[in-house]
Amino acid sequence: MELLARILHISPQTFWMIAKVIIVFAGPLTLAAILTWVERRGSAMIQDRIGPNRALLFGRWRLLGLPQLAADGIKFFMKEDLVAEEANNTLFWLAPLMAFVPAMMGFAVIPFGRDFTEAGRTYSLSLLDPGNGMGMLYPMAIGAVAVYGILTASWSSNNKWSILGGMRASAQMVSYEIGMSLAVIAIFMTTGGYDPHQIVAAQAKTWNVFPHIFGFLVFFTCMFAETNRLPFDFAEGESEIVAGFHTEYGSMKFALLQLSEYVHMVTAAALIVTLYFGGWQIPGMAHPPVLLSIGAFVVKWVFFCWVFIWIRWTIPRFRFDQLMFLGWKVMLPLSMGNLLVHAYFMHRWG
Amino acid sequence: MAVIVKKVELNWVDRTYVIPVAMGMFITMKHFLKQLFTRSRKRFTVQYPDWKREPAPGYRGLHELKRFEDGAIKCVACFMCAEACPARCITIEADEFGDLNRTQGFQEKRPAVFKIDMLRCIYCGMCEEACPKDAIWLRSDYEQASYDRLSMQFGKWDLMNTYAERDGKARITQDPTPTVPRPPLQS
Repeated sequence: MELLARILHISPQTFWMIAKVIIVFAGPLTLAAILTWVERRGSAMIQDRIGPNRALLFGRWRLLGLPQLAADGIKFFMKEDLVAEEANNTLFWLAPLMAFVPAMMGFAVIPFGRDFTEAGRTYSLSLLDPGNGMGMLYPMAIGAVAVYGILTASWSSNNKWSILGGMRASAQMVSYEIGMSLAVIAIFMTTGGYDPHQIVAAQAKTWNVFPHIFGFLVFFTCMFAETNRLPFDFAEGESEIVAGFHTEYGSMKFALLQLSEYVHMVTAAALIVTLYFGGWQIPGMAHPPVLLSIGAFVVKWVFFCWVFIWIRWTIPRFRFDQLMFLGWKVMLPLSMGNLLVHAYFMHRWG
Repeated sequence: MAVIVKKVELNWVDRTYVIPVAMGMFITMKHFLKQLFTRSRKRFTVQYPDWKREPAPGYRGLHELKRFEDGAIKCVACFMCAEACPARCITIEADEFGDLNRTQGFQEKRPAVFKIDMLRCIYCGMCEEACPKDAIWLRSDYEQASYDRLSMQFGKWDLMNTYAERDGKARITQDPTPTVPRPPLQS
């Protein structure tokens, strides 16, 4: 660390910050890109198909269909960039960015490995160091902002299907945010703080998923609603409202909207891992080596990304009234009950 | 008639929704793993341009005009197939053998032109059924496509040679000079 920083003529803190920015930016983005491949191949395998395997790298290597990613990217760049005539041009161009940027920002507080000390300095493996005062509130807030991208996209398209998708997305986001927040508050309570590093450290003995099993179920379900993934992808119900909020989008703008969905998924998986599955903790190992802790985090993280895909191809889409019923009448009381029960136990024994 | 839809009453296990979802996920995972660990040759998908499927024996694919051993066409230009064809894609022009008919016992007619418009053909096999001489067969070739319309107009020689390579027969481009009388006709 010191050596590398000296070569680049910057202080170790700056060097580490730059390195972390690159990791935090490139990591989720790469995983999101790979997830599009996993989604297609995995869904194919689940449905007894084969999936895309025809794209060749340099016309020679098939690589299990991975070159499809490059082919899609090139295709999106080459396509004609159409904007609907009646659309609001400025917002139409801005909306994919408004969806994409918050999706990328959410990952900043997630600790993806154990802190390590080198030459008297402690380096923490999350973009924002512990004790920044925002803690877990930050990804929650950013996650709530993400709906504006979808809403802007839908409204600026000036299309009935789009606006329906946007309305659904916003209604869904509002109703599920409450249940989700209450589930997370129970964790803040038992942890005694809302910093992700604290939350991860508090899970050294038992992962939060065991005492907070109902909270986990609520949070997990709400994450599907937050990321607009099936079974809650009402914002883009293909069979109902064409393609929902991105009906009018094409080429790279569509790709950005689509990618932001995957980045959301990646961030949601990281949040689930941090809050409920002990982050980088390895069961039975009090102080794992740094690389091993990163490995543990990545394994859990990728697994939950896969669970998102797995569930998508298992459960059909809900009806919208069922979604609202589930959000207000099941998830909210459940997470509230979870909160109260934990509060009672803490009051009694804690 | 009205259909009375009975509302399905779920028991409490199903209403929790968690256990049924877990069961569903188990099923999808089973399919996933099964497909993942099946060799690609054993999967359901036939990866078409690389592997080809052998059609079933009764398959109605590209036509062949059958010929005798010496290469003479079996078709006698009776127009039965053209009549039977629901898509009206067969065009026949009859031709006479002339003197050979009477002196050497050859069939009366043969087609000078036998055209099938493959763009119109619906591969119903009516021509095959109508033919009194078993001269037209619909066989196994299902890959007919081309870049222009003209190459989908199959003439007499195209149709006689469609399966020549596959059957190990010589390609012929003209009616052989008749030397031997035909065997007695059954009809």
